[in-house]
Order: sequence, then structure tokens, then C-alpha cells
Amino acid sequence: MNADRHGTHAHGSVTATDTDAAQESGPSTDPELNARIRPMRSGGNTLPWKLLSLLLALALALSLWAGHRGVAGQAEGGTVADTVTVGLKLAPTNLDIRNQSGTALDQLLIGNVYQGLVSRDSRNRVRPGLARTWNVSEDGLVYTFHLHEGIRFSNGHALRAQDVVDSIRGLMAGHYQGSEMLEGFQGVQASDPLTVRLTLSRPYQDLLWQLSGRAGLVFDRRAHYDMKTQAVGSGPYLLDSFRPNDSVTLKADPHYWGSDKPKTQTIIIRYLNDDNAAVNALRSGDVQVLAPVTENLASPFRNNPDFQVKAGDDTDKYVLAMNGKGVATSDLRVRQAIRYAIDHRQLIASRGGSDGALGGPIPSLDPGYQDLTGLYPHDPEQARRLLAQAGYGPDHRLKLRLTYANTYGSELGDQLRSQLRQVGIDLDVRVVEFSVWLQDVHANKDYDLSLVDHGESHDFHQWANPGYYYNYDNHQVQELYQKAMATTSADDSDRLLAQAARIVSNDAAADWLFNYRVTTAWRTGLEGFPVDLNQSLMPLSDVIYRRA
Amino acid sequence: MARFLMRRLVLFLLALMGISLLIFLALRILPGDVAAVMAGLDAPPERVDRLRRQMGLDRSYPRQYLDWISDFLKGDLGRSILTNRSIASQVGIRAQITFPLILLGLGVALLLGIPLGCAAALARSPRMQSFSHMAAIVGGSVPALWSGLLLIMLFAKGSGLIGLLPSQGFPALGWAQPGQALSSLTLPALSTGIIVGAGIMRYTRSLLTDMLSSGYVDMGMACGMTRTQAALRIGLRLASPQLVSVVGLTMAEMITGVMVSENLFALPGLGSMLITDVGNRDLPAVQSELLLLAAFFLFLGLLVDVTHRLIDPRFRGAARQEVAD
Repeated sequence: MNADRHGTHAHGSVTATDTDAAQESGPSTDPELNARIRPMRSGGNTLPWKLLSLLLALALALSLWAGHRGVAGQAEGGTVADTVTVGLKLAPTNLDIRNQSGTALDQLLIGNVYQGLVSRDSRNRVRPGLARTWNVSEDGLVYTFHLHEGIRFSNGHALRAQDVVDSIRGLMAGHYQGSEMLEGFQGVQASDPLTVRLTLSRPYQDLLWQLSGRAGLVFDRRAHYDMKTQAVGSGPYLLDSFRPNDSVTLKADPHYWGSDKPKTQTIIIRYLNDDNAAVNALRSGDVQVLAPVTENLASPFRNNPDFQVKAGDDTDKYVLAMNGKGVATSDLRVRQAIRYAIDHRQLIASRGGSDGALGGPIPSLDPGYQDLTGLYPHDPEQARRLLAQAGYGPDHRLKLRLTYANTYGSELGDQLRSQLRQVGIDLDVRVVEFSVWLQDVHANKDYDLSLVDHGESHDFHQWANPGYYYNYDNHQVQELYQKAMATTSADDSDRLLAQAARIVSNDAAADWLFNYRVTTAWRTGLEGFPVDLNQSLMPLSDVIYRRA
Repeated sequence: MARFLMRRLVLFLLALMGISLLIFLALRILPGDVAAVMAGLDAPPERVDRLRRQMGLDRSYPRQYLDWISDFLKGDLGRSILTNRSIASQVGIRAQITFPLILLGLGVALLLGIPLGCAAALARSPRMQSFSHMAAIVGGSVPALWSGLLLIMLFAKGSGLIGLLPSQGFPALGWAQPGQALSSLTLPALSTGIIVGAGIMRYTRSLLTDMLSSGYVDMGMACGMTRTQAALRIGLRLASPQLVSVVGLTMAEMITGVMVSENLFALPGLGSMLITDVGNRDLPAVQSELLLLAAFFLFLGLLVDVTHRLIDPRFRGAARQEVAD
């Protein structure tokens, strides 16, 4: 009935009124019907927009308020900050320094929370630690260490010679990290509460340096705690909190025994895995110092008076290992050709130019260093000649596979591929997870070329170990290394190591792409943060931040 | 409804068991193991073997699976091999960042996607239509990494053009500092929300366009509504069950989607936890984390189905008929 009525009206209106007017007034041609249309509630259309703007305004207000509070807090802190936040890259997975590998733990804990019998300085030389002095017998077999008096662990327990003895015995019995480096270890005794005697079966030149690392750490034999999540040591800092892959908070130990008392009460270490995120954190003031900062991202800070940037000396060696038993790489001419084909200057320049050239297995801060960069200068012609001698040419191109862990990014692989292509080598680059690399390359030695940043120091022994993944077996090198370790004269040892390193480099057992020098950037006003070697040794007690 | 729920719950458990087996096997295919990663480059083989024994990795696979799944069913997610922390508490801590981030991002996405989708469907000028089409495609294909970087360049405190919001990390005290916590999630939520919003916009537009050509809207218009009114009052309501499905699926997708933002904004959420745990081959942790996420996915599906029944009376009729048959 309704429909009827509408219908008749509609007909009437078309005939009666102007069509244009009807169109203007509404969708229907019937003005009466148009008048009955309920107008859209305004909320139906604009409510989301109102909500959105309300939300945005709220977020804005909140962030302004939060930002304002932060600034106010800083102003009240006075000129010397009681908290400094340090940005690092690689986070330790847990704190178990006896079992967990990786320099992230050395960097965080050694010298800050745990202390060793001896320590080392920023030039990688051995310095006193818990032992204030030591003597070595004529034959190099007996080391006697005299401990400082009044050393205490952070839990209040006194540190005695027996703690040292138990720590080293535990290390050897448990095969913990560093135990394999105490070559010729025979025994350790406490002669009195402040004296430790360590005996060797044969002289070992590197013993003291090894004791400045994990092998020499002293733990409290009476303390029981979960070493994965806690740390009780004698160092200047207490471990306050540990959030895996995120942050670590260190607090100054008020009862610290040593003279190097911490200058900053609280140090927060934040792990920033993403390079851009790390740089943003430094710029915005979330961290006051960043190590490492990617050299290519560091340039804006160099020209800014609010920041200081410096590259430090390090022992990181980017090693392009060539499988000594590989199908093609067992041929010396192939390995030499690869070394001639690589343009190190270009590699270093593309990374920002702060890294050092390195021609052999020993970096400048380690014993036995000599400049070997002249042995294999960039010479593509020579590389092509050697490849031709080895039977490769345009019709029979050499195909090699490069396997490396994804932590090093894809650029290096791309660069090597394009450099080697110019001399006629086709490089198949496989970027894999670190654990896959460990399995395929390190354990199964199934590779042609591999790339790793060997950050360890004093690690020439790798070249004297035919079972290591390099598959490098040279009796002369092994003999020279044994002699270098067995001599009691440091100078002789240096000379012998240098001789061995030259042979390894001549043999083109690998190519050492560069010596990675870590760039550190910090806010002006921050002092005392170590720049050299800071990825494996980062003493924090001198760090102080004076705000402008 | 009760019968429907029962059936869904049984299916839920069966699916979860199947997934647990898949997760367990898939992780065992991964090369490399946690003991080797822990022992490092210079480790003698004896140390790796000793660690493997300590970690219980020398047990047979069926044994490992049964140990894991029986503990899981008892509510014990186990402990990480590497950090010795309870996985449940770790997931709990990380979820306090990831889930608020997902909800905020979804909020942004809905606030952008639904109104814009409606506007796009209702736009009549071809220019407006192709413009909104382009906007949806461009918005949806922007990588989260890039939009995040743009937002940082614009709004990051200290470095952005209009320095308003923190771009890095999460306050140390978490939600005990609600203002700071919320502001540190704002940029990440925007960067994911814009992208997800573009997807929702496209769905809304196509659903509504379908409705516009359906009899329902014609009927509404025949009853005197304008096209816009009919589309919004009838079309949108009829499209809402499908929209709920889309939102549910989107939310599940966002669990992986926000991982990019978490990484860029250095937020210690579930994403970064999973990535590091897989990298370290901490398999007991990874398998429990993945199974929890799978349970959450399944639960979302269940929730979507139940919501369908609640908001769409047609389903209830169908169910009754099913029962009658």
C-alpha cells in the first residue's frame, strides 16, 4: 500500500517539477521521499577521524611529557653523570665465562667483574692483576705469583691463594674455555695464603699472556651461584642485572679492594645489533658511547663538535681461508693467484678506510708481527699467469665456493666475487648462519674458501695445528712454533714466530683481507673509555661523563 | 554452540599435536648444534662432546620429543639450554612488548584502512578510484624497514626533523613507565600499521564494492536510502564477518610482521628472541616458543569462528539446521 502511494506521487512529481531541481534536492525524484531521508549521523562518517586525531594528540602529549621529564632529570644530575650508557654490538648469550665462547664475555666481564692473576694493558702487554709481582725460574718451569693483600670478592669473602689454585685446577679438570691454551701445565699449589706456585713440564713462552685471559680468572671457591645468569668476582663492578640480548647493568662495588676505583656509579651496556639503530641511539643520546660504529655511518659524527670519533688498534684478522686439501685450492698456484687477484686497498676503502692492511697471520699488537703486505701485491696479470699454469683458462674457468657467516654482511662476498671474476675465477658466494658455518666449514672442513673475522689475539697456534679447519700442514711451521713457545727468551720467540708467519703467508695458506680496526664514537665530555682492543678488553673504571 | 565449541577444541588440540611434531622435526633438520656454537672456534672436540652430554643432546630423538611434549602439556615450557632461564618467563617478558605493539599497529591499521577503504569503494570519479587504488598498492608494498627509517628520520628524538618520539629501545622498567613505554612503541606501531592498513583498505574496498553490486544494497536504495547510506549501513554490516576474518588473519600475520620493526627500533620483543635463539641453536627454547605462537594462531582462528557466529545470525541458523539433519 505504501509502495502504491509512493509510486503515484513519483509519477506526479516528474510531470509537475523541473528535473534539475529534483536532482539537486536528493536521490529520489519525489521531494516528499527526499524529505523523509534521515540525514547520516555525522558520527558515522567522521568518528574514526575524530578517534585518530584524538589518539595522535594523546601520543604527542605523552611523548612531549616523557621527553620533558627526561631533560629535567638530566639537569638535576649535576655536571658529572652517575650513569653512563655504553652501546655495543654483539651480546653474550649467557654469562658462563667458563663454557660460553665469544669475546663478548671477555669484553664485559674480564677486568670489570672477574679479575685474573695478571691483566693486560691497551697495547696487549701483560700487567699485574690479582698478583702484584711474580718471578719465573731460570729454566722457565716454575712461576711464583705474589698476591695483593686484602683482596675481597664482591660477596665479602677474602680472596686467597687457595681460590687461585682451585680456579686453575677446576679449569683444567673441566676442560673449560682457555684450558687448551695452558700448554705443558703440570700443577699449581698455594705455598701460603698470598703465594701461588704454578709448574710446567716444559717452558711455555705464552703462559703469562694466556693467564691474563680466561685461563687466569679467579672465582670464589665458597660461592655457589648460577654462572649463566650471575657473576661474583673481585672486580670494581658488581653485576646488577643481565637481560639476554638486550642489556647489562653494572654497579660500582663500594667495597672494591683495588686502587682503580670506578669513577661512574652505574654503567648500562646496551646491545644494539642493527647498525642504523645503534647510530640513532648515539645521536639521540640514548647511549653516550658506541663501539663499534660502522665506519661508513661514522662520518656525520666526525664533523660534529658534540661527538668524538676514533679508530683503535685491534687484533681482528679478516681471514679468507683457502682449504689446504680442497680440490682446486690444494694447488699452491691457485692460492697464490687468489692472493694476487685481491685488491686490498679497494676492500679497505669501501669499508670507510680505517682498517689496516695485513699481509700475514700476525697483527701488529701480537708477538712476531712484521709487515708482510709486500709479499702479494695486487697484480691481476700475475694471477692470470698462475691460473694458466695451473690449467685454467677462458674455456676452463675455475669455479670456487666461498662460505661465510651472515654476521659479516653480503658486501664483502660481492666484492671478492667481482675482483676474482677479473682474473677468471667464478666465485659462488654462500652466506650462511654462523652455526651452519661451524658445521660445514669448521667441523667438516667441507669448503673451498671461507671468510671469518678471527678476533682472537696470540692465535698463531692455529697455523701449527694440522687438524684446524684451514687444513694447513707444514712441518717447518709447526717446528718453529714449538721452538718459539719453548724458548725462555721473548726476543727469540718473537723472531721465530715472525719466521713462521712469513712461511704461512708465502704458502698463501689464506689471504688476510685486512686488520679490522674498531671505530668508537662518543659524546664530547665522556672520558676514559678504551679505544684500543675494546672488543675483547673493556675496562670501565676510568669512564667518566662530564656534561657540558 | 556448546557442541560446536567442543568440536573446535578437539580439533585445536589435534592440530597443536601435529604442529609440535612438525616443529620438532624441522628444527632437527637445521645444520649445526648449540654445543658447537657455545664451544666456539678454538674448542677441542672433547669440550663439544662434554657440553652435548651436559645439555642432554645425546638422548635419542623420540626420547627428546616425548620429554619435551609431556612437560609442555603439564605447562612446563622448559628452560633455555644457553641462559638457563625459564622459557615461560622469557616469553612473558618479551610478549609485554610484542603484543601491545601488535594491538597498537592493528589499531592504526583499522583506523586508516576501514575509513579509507569505504571512501575508495564509494568514490565515483575514476580519478579518485585510481588514486585510492594506487595508494593501497603503494602503501601495501612499502617495506616496513623503509617506512620505519622514514619515520625515524622525521620524528625521532634527537635526530629527526621534528624530534618528538624515541626511536630506540624500550624503557628499562617497562610498563612501570607507561608514558615512555607507549611513546617508544608509537613509531614502530605507525610503521607497521600503515602497511597493514593498506591491506585492510584493499579488503574493505573490494568487500564493499561486491556489496554495492549485490541485491542487498539495491534493496536498501529501493527503500529510499542513498547509495552511501545503503553501503555503510547494510553493505558494511554484511561484510563484517569477512572483515573479522581478515582482521584475525592480519593479526596472526603481524606476529611475524612486527619482527622487522622490533629489530629496527631495537625493541627486545618476541621477534628478536626467536631470531637469536634460532641462531644459537637453542632448540628447546625455539620449539617451545614456536609451539606457543602456533597455539596463539590456532586460538585466533577459533576466536574468529566464534565471533562469526555471534555477529552473523545466518550462521546460527545454519548450525541449527546441521544439528537437525
